[in-house]
Amino acid sequence: MRNWLLPEYIADILPATARQVESAKAAMLEQFRCAGYELVLPPLIEYVDSLIAEGDTALDLKTFKLDDQLSGHQLGLRADITPQVARIDAHLLGHRTGVTRLCYAGSVVHTRPNGLMSSRQPMQVGAELYGYAGIEADIEIIELMLSTLDQVKVPQLRLDVGHTAIFRGLATAAGLSPQATRELFAVLQNKDAASIAEQVAGLAEPYRSAFLALPELYGPASVLEKARTRLPSLPEVELALMQLTAIARAFEGRVAISFDLSELRGTHYHTGLIFAAYAPGWAVELARGGRYDNVGRRFGRARPATGFSLDLRDLIQILPERGSAMGVRVANRHLPAAQGEVERLRAAGEVVIIDYLGESAEAIGCNRELIPAADGWQIVPFN
Amino acid sequence: MTLTIALSKGRIFEETLPLLAAAGIVPAEDPESSRKLIIETNHADVRLVIVRASDVPTYVQYGAADLGIAGRDVLIEHGGDGLYQPLDLNIAKCKMMVAVENGFDYQNAVRQGARLKIATKYPKIAREHFAAKGVHVDIIKLYGSMELAPLVGLADAIVDLVSTGGTLRANNLVAVEHIIDISSRLVVNQAALKLKYDRIQPVLDAFASAVPA
Repeated sequence: MRNWLLPEYIADILPATARQVESAKAAMLEQFRCAGYELVLPPLIEYVDSLIAEGDTALDLKTFKLDDQLSGHQLGLRADITPQVARIDAHLLGHRTGVTRLCYAGSVVHTRPNGLMSSRQPMQVGAELYGYAGIEADIEIIELMLSTLDQVKVPQLRLDVGHTAIFRGLATAAGLSPQATRELFAVLQNKDAASIAEQVAGLAEPYRSAFLALPELYGPASVLEKARTRLPSLPEVELALMQLTAIARAFEGRVAISFDLSELRGTHYHTGLIFAAYAPGWAVELARGGRYDNVGRRFGRARPATGFSLDLRDLIQILPERGSAMGVRVANRHLPAAQGEVERLRAAGEVVIIDYLGESAEAIGCNRELIPAADGWQIVPFN
Repeated sequence: MTLTIALSKGRIFEETLPLLAAAGIVPAEDPESSRKLIIETNHADVRLVIVRASDVPTYVQYGAADLGIAGRDVLIEHGGDGLYQPLDLNIAKCKMMVAVENGFDYQNAVRQGARLKIATKYPKIAREHFAAKGVHVDIIKLYGSMELAPLVGLADAIVDLVSTGGTLRANNLVAVEHIIDISSRLVVNQAALKLKYDRIQPVLDAFASAVPA
């Protein structure tokens, strides 16, 4: 095996890009800070039991596992930061009874890439809001997601919104077994009309028709009206459609928006409104999120929760070029005499590079040079 | 906003032509006679890309094509994750079947707890089918001429697509079990359906209205 080879879907981020990524991350965290989101830094590894909720097989398969020599328990490399933040809210900050806003930025690791274009080590950046069930919290999180993407100038953003309570409400009302619910969830996710028809063939009306209608209920806000006529008026369905209508009103004219009532985001922890941002040039969504009320119950405290996350690596291709500031060259022979001046310049934010080899301006990345002057040091052009 | 449709040559292409026509799309060339892989159409913003049938889901999943037409067999083997499959086009119909050499006692060979050697191009479908019957199988993945495997002692049975049964008969094989019905599905890239809704939805509706019974 060639020892320089990296595993598939694992990549280095090289100099110019690494700087772009770090400053984009800093700008995002600053934006979160100004919106009142406190930064947390959960660990890379923790017990599998706390990382993965029981029954979340998708996350379980995605998580690398290793044995802890100290405790003998199984550890997981985090594949998602959201459950960690939920644990923090539920347990460590359990004395807070009001609204808690938390944000984070860090690498996660996946056993398999999410998609063919994804890295197995995404850089997850996200924000979560705990303790308020009202639709205003969902709107706040969606606004934060959109402005985060706006900040890195994602062109022609499209917001796509769905609601998992519609499917869950219908599945419960139709009396589907957990097994049947899972199978229907999987095919609905792919709008696999033929398989849906096979699976719901034996169901009673109005549920059979409702499940057949779901994969067709996507598109502009007018689908919400269509949904009212095609879905039975269960309380869950009514509430979900009301919330979706509120979202349509809130974002009308601000961003291109569409709705998709069979979108379930593949995760089993979402309980209500879900959303994602798409843009031309990306074959998958750029950012995604939604409501996951009571996810903290397994840590001892059930709370309303909503949040979003994105993978910074997805954005690398469009992150603004940061005009790499040209530096000041100082020939090695001027040191240590010039040390004081070099430190003063560096403290002022200048890039000062010691030239050992006598390199060209381009090779060393400098357009100026520090040379002795009559009364100390001076900077002159270097080329 | 261009629209790229991934298709494979042969039967799927032939049977897709009427559907394309219903959407007002006419290819500028016939892929059977042209060696081009990108085929323009009568619409400047619609093009067809000609790929191997088993590669269609990959092209669409990557977003290299917005739409594609792929057999259910291909989609099951691929996994279909990240793709919408909104329409069964009811074309390129055939059956996925188990076949054995004439005279082989299949019923006795597949009793629960038995172990069989299966040659197939469709390992996922084969594994799932026999697992559901409680039978262990060793899968031998082949890329063609499946019918040969039982005749030369490479496998006990094959799992393969059967449309007329002609090839089976010519090689002294018999189909002994029906696994699933196969037809071609329209697949759509998930992001494309959201981003190009106005362009894709009319094509989808036109296809739906022209699906053969």
